[in-house]
Amino acid sequence: MNYNEKKIPIIKIRDYLIVSIQVDMHDRLALQLQTQILDEIYRTGAKGVLIDISTLEMVDSFIGRVLSGMASKASIMDAAVVIVGMQPSVAITLVELGLEMPGVDTALNMELGMEMLEKRISKD
Amino acid sequence: MESNTTITNAKVRIDHIEDVLSSVAAGDLDLRIESEVEDDLTGVEQAINLLIDDLTHELKKSNQMKEEMQEKLLKIQDQQKMIFQQQEDLMELSSPVSKVWDNILILPVIGTLDSQRTQIMMENLLMKIVSTGCTTAILDITGVPTVDTQVANHLLKTVTAARLLGAECIVSGISPAIAQTIVHLGINLSNILTKATLQSAMIYAMKKNDQLVEGKIKIDMKELDDNQL
Repeated sequence: MNYNEKKIPIIKIRDYLIVSIQVDMHDRLALQLQTQILDEIYRTGAKGVLIDISTLEMVDSFIGRVLSGMASKASIMDAAVVIVGMQPSVAITLVELGLEMPGVDTALNMELGMEMLEKRISKD
Repeated sequence: MESNTTITNAKVRIDHIEDVLSSVAAGDLDLRIESEVEDDLTGVEQAINLLIDDLTHELKKSNQMKEEMQEKLLKIQDQQKMIFQQQEDLMELSSPVSKVWDNILILPVIGTLDSQRTQIMMENLLMKIVSTGCTTAILDITGVPTVDTQVANHLLKTVTAARLLGAECIVSGISPAIAQTIVHLGINLSNILTKATLQSAMIYAMKKNDQLVEGKIKIDMKELDDNQL
């Protein structure tokens, strides 16, 4: 199977990019998604990115690192990243792996994530 | 001629002894060797009878003991089951997470923390955060007598995991002894929000959620009607 054919859609609504991960993440897909999101931030000048990982049931250290790396990379590009809807098991795994994702904003669901982004952007 | 008869008799009696012995071996303990005449063989027969008597007695005794043991074993198994059940109950009871106000969860911890308990505590809290959608959780450790590195580490993990879900975790009720140990052990709790009492944690949480007006609780009666009545 050619992984490059399967892309995770990135939806732009007003100043935000919304990414909903609904497939199992593997390493190449994660890296591809990161490039895709950064490209899209550059192209659209989005101020915030919401990444919904509520259907993600398993996360390894690599994916965790990519997610937190993506947040810091996006913040350099002046876009806030909020990771939304993490499962308890995923949170426990990440903490046990020592990936505490400092500097990454998280929210319980899409709605709260959107509120958070709005607050952050209106502050700036 | 006479010696022949004696030999035949003896043979018959020995056969009889054999028969009885084999039946006894097969489990029929009521059988005894019977003989009408007294001769050299009678002593042997009586001795065998005595042996069978002894055997019967011992068997009865051992059977009785076996039954007793079985009964005791059953009792012990029952007790063990009960202990397991109670341990599970205790684990469940020891980490109740309750929603005290809109958007606010409280997890009061009482007693000594070990890694198994903190694990269950963490899971319970995270599950509850997701199921209720509350974004503030207060971890009250007033009832925890001592804290060591491992427990402090677990607390840190719980708070971090809650943050990853998108909820803020406040730790309240750190006793002087615990504060001393934590600082002495060199554990850095600076990225954890701590409050002196459950009350101040609650006030902080309610302020953050915009649930207080001039220090008083803001109640939306309409919402209350819809939700609770």
